[in-house]
Amino acid sequence: MKKSTVFTLLSVFVLIPGALFLGRFLPGRGFYLTSTLVILFVLLPFFLAFEDRRPQARELVLIAVLCALAVASRAAFVWLPHFKPLFGVIILSGIVCGAQGGFLVGAVSAFASNFLFGQGPWTPWQMLAYGICGLVAGACYHKKDRLPKDPLSLGLFGFVAVLFTVCPILDTSTVLTSLTVFTPASVFGIYAAAIPTNLIQAGCTLVTLLVLSKPLLYKLARITQKYGLYQ
Amino acid sequence: MGKDGFSKCHPAVNFLFFVGAIVFGVLFQHPAYLLAGLLCAGAYYLLLCGQKALKSMAMMLPLFLIIAAINPLFNTRGEHILFHLFGRPYTQEALGYGFAVGSILVITLLWFGCYNRVMTEDKFTALFGNLMPALSLLLVMVFRLIPALLYKSKQITDARRCIGKSGENLTFRQKISSGMTVLLALAGWSLESGILTADSMRCRGYGTARRTNFQVYRLHLSDWVLLAALALTAAVTVCGAAVGATEAAYVPVFTAAPVSVFLPVYCIFLLIPTIIHIKEVVLCRIFISKI
Repeated sequence: MKKSTVFTLLSVFVLIPGALFLGRFLPGRGFYLTSTLVILFVLLPFFLAFEDRRPQARELVLIAVLCALAVASRAAFVWLPHFKPLFGVIILSGIVCGAQGGFLVGAVSAFASNFLFGQGPWTPWQMLAYGICGLVAGACYHKKDRLPKDPLSLGLFGFVAVLFTVCPILDTSTVLTSLTVFTPASVFGIYAAAIPTNLIQAGCTLVTLLVLSKPLLYKLARITQKYGLYQ
Repeated sequence: MGKDGFSKCHPAVNFLFFVGAIVFGVLFQHPAYLLAGLLCAGAYYLLLCGQKALKSMAMMLPLFLIIAAINPLFNTRGEHILFHLFGRPYTQEALGYGFAVGSILVITLLWFGCYNRVMTEDKFTALFGNLMPALSLLLVMVFRLIPALLYKSKQITDARRCIGKSGENLTFRQKISSGMTVLLALAGWSLESGILTADSMRCRGYGTARRTNFQVYRLHLSDWVLLAALALTAAVTVCGAAVGATEAAYVPVFTAAPVSVFLPVYCIFLLIPTIIHIKEVVLCRIFISKI
């Protein structure tokens, strides 16, 4: 059996329930530790699956370039404060590289960008959130012609994906770090307070995909066809 | 950064210390332990980053106060009512709990601030590179590509400014399309040169043998001593937590375990990097004065 399969089974049936069970005995704000551990156990099978495939140099470099592009894309918009095309690039990577590649691009770019802007308790949450963003895009669009790939529908897809997958995960991390008591009022208060920033993020993704999806997908398709990657 | 003694230790020692410090920082709610954590983390952060540390600490203060202030709005338990807000009691105990949660967050942020300075990218990949070779190579390439792309994007922006296509004084729509042009140019350049890199990597034997690291890290005797000291103090602290020395409850009534011998041990654990840093600086001064 492959290493990743073994670890996936181990993590689903032993590690995650074990962490949840033992976490109940932790004092203080142990739930934050438990949640971080669970996220790590979710992330590891994806990474191990990538290791098991023994990726070729070209595939490795393509993914590295896409991660770096996602992180550095902010620099192209020096004239526009608060404009982050990061999720747009991750979604397009998912469409081209598939669910696994998209997850990897998302998670690695979150991790790498935190080496620039500072690691924190949010790092695992961001890795999970960005990874899922790429995974959803890959699962919906990679090698599938049923869904329309015109800029408008991709943009709307990105808007919905960021608003309903990335933002709730990141807000949950805020809820866990900043509250003393978890009542419906307090939890929804935090989620509601985050809605404006989330809408800005989703709006940026919408605009990025509207403008960028056609030319960038064309460039990526050209590279993958020319060199026979992800065919 | 080259002056920090703790950074010169083996990456495993660095990593284990930060795991311990952050885990303890999250778990202990006792005010004395919170204060110890704040002071130790703050001291090491100041030693590492100097002026910059003061600036980022000044940014953590409002965060701390906001978290402390909003929590009593949701948590109304507690005996001493300070005043009523929106018809709900705002209690002293809940405010204290808010301060505790705020300090836990600040402690974590301070330790992560130190972590960012000590655990550089090369140390991280050296430590975990053998467990996940493909992934750590991927990380190394990303770390190299990000500065390269930032540099290239500045070149492209500057070149566009030379031909009168600067991004200033444009409408929002034009700014977006100008940024997208830069991003597309960047993507085209990096994808093509990436494939070139990959082919040259394969020609030079990528994947034929284990990847080695640029820096060679070995566990010296001093690292073992340090590991033993960290393990000992951490074990005593865990025992302290197991017998309830670090426990405190804030609402509805404030109760805290009496301060015991475990607190100084916890402080020693947290102060180990600071002690090594100061020892190194003092030794350096002595050697210089002898010349």
